Amino acid sequence: MSSPLFDSIRKELEARKDDIRPSDIILFSEPLRTALNAVIHLKRFSLTEFAANLPFTREETKLLADLLIKRNLFELFAESPGEPVYMARLSAMTRPLTRPPTDLWKKID
Amino acid sequence: MSKIISIHSFRGGTGKSNTTANIAALLAKDGARVCVVDTDINSPGIHVLFNLDDSDMVHSLNDYLWKKCTIEEAAHDVTGRIGGDIKGQILLIPSSIKPGEIARILRDGYDVGLLNDGFRDVVDKLKLDYLLIDTHPGLNDETLLSIAISNILVIILRPDSQDYQGTAVTVDVAKKLDVPKMVMLVNKTPSAFDFDDVRERVEQTYDVKVGAVLPHADEMMTLASSGIFSIQFPDHPITKGLQKLVEQIKK
Repeated sequence: MSSPLFDSIRKELEARKDDIRPSDIILFSEPLRTALNAVIHLKRFSLTEFAANLPFTREETKLLADLLIKRNLFELFAESPGEPVYMARLSAMTRPLTRPPTDLWKKID
Repeated sequence: MSKIISIHSFRGGTGKSNTTANIAALLAKDGARVCVVDTDINSPGIHVLFNLDDSDMVHSLNDYLWKKCTIEEAAHDVTGRIGGDIKGQILLIPSSIKPGEIARILRDGYDVGLLNDGFRDVVDKLKLDYLLIDTHPGLNDETLLSIAISNILVIILRPDSQDYQGTAVTVDVAKKLDVPKMVMLVNKTPSAFDFDDVRERVEQTYDVKVGAVLPHADEMMTLASSGIFSIQFPDHPITKGLQKLVEQIKK
């Protein structure tokens, strides 16, 4: 059975409808925020490296990574047996720079 | 190991591009291989400090973002353009200064993920010791991207109430992004101020180390972006302060 902390983070990611932007990172619950910050500083990272930053099982961590791929924060770079390697791209979407930063200030507040 | 350094200020006019150019020059003077990226796509300007004209720009950051060239093809060697005894190398990836191209990128946007990939790739492909990112003032998602992937964030502010408030926001965000190292630079400080007091107050307020408190100087205004200050005035107090900042960056 998964922990309440894992369930709440999974729900947080599943509830997202848009791609994850850099300003979203600052809002994520712990320990996800710290774990994401850690792997963003690595050019590429394995599931093992991501899992080392989270208090979840390997299977649970993989589930979170899959959700992050869906929201375009992670990209699967390579997959050796049982050990996926990811890249964090911090948003793969194109958007006009003139678009108001909308929720940025709300996030910071 | 290569380092990615973002140079940021919450407000415009703090001397961000000038500081970036001087940090690049001082690092390269000591033999480092440095690349500066002008991500201030809305209002590019750092190319002027490196004496790079529009006619000299083969490719720009805009071309890379429109997939017209690779990121390394947009890099221009500006080492020989700034004078001084530079043992290393300075490369510049300028943003386009063509009005039509600025308008196009403002209108159509770009793939922010590509910018992320470009920062990562250029460090490896150009075998850099340092990548300096000259950011757009204020906070937006593009700036946060630069801050998030940086090893070091240099935050520039003037001793001014508006700067103090905005800088608090930047520091807070950078802390939430777990930037490994932050250094502050207090720029354009009036000579009537007690510089040690300014340093102490800023460090206490933000809980971030101040790399240098630099004086306001007429020589900087007179130079009017026609060159790199630390090369033109190697013994000036501003240059000495910038050298202290560079030592913090190297640590």
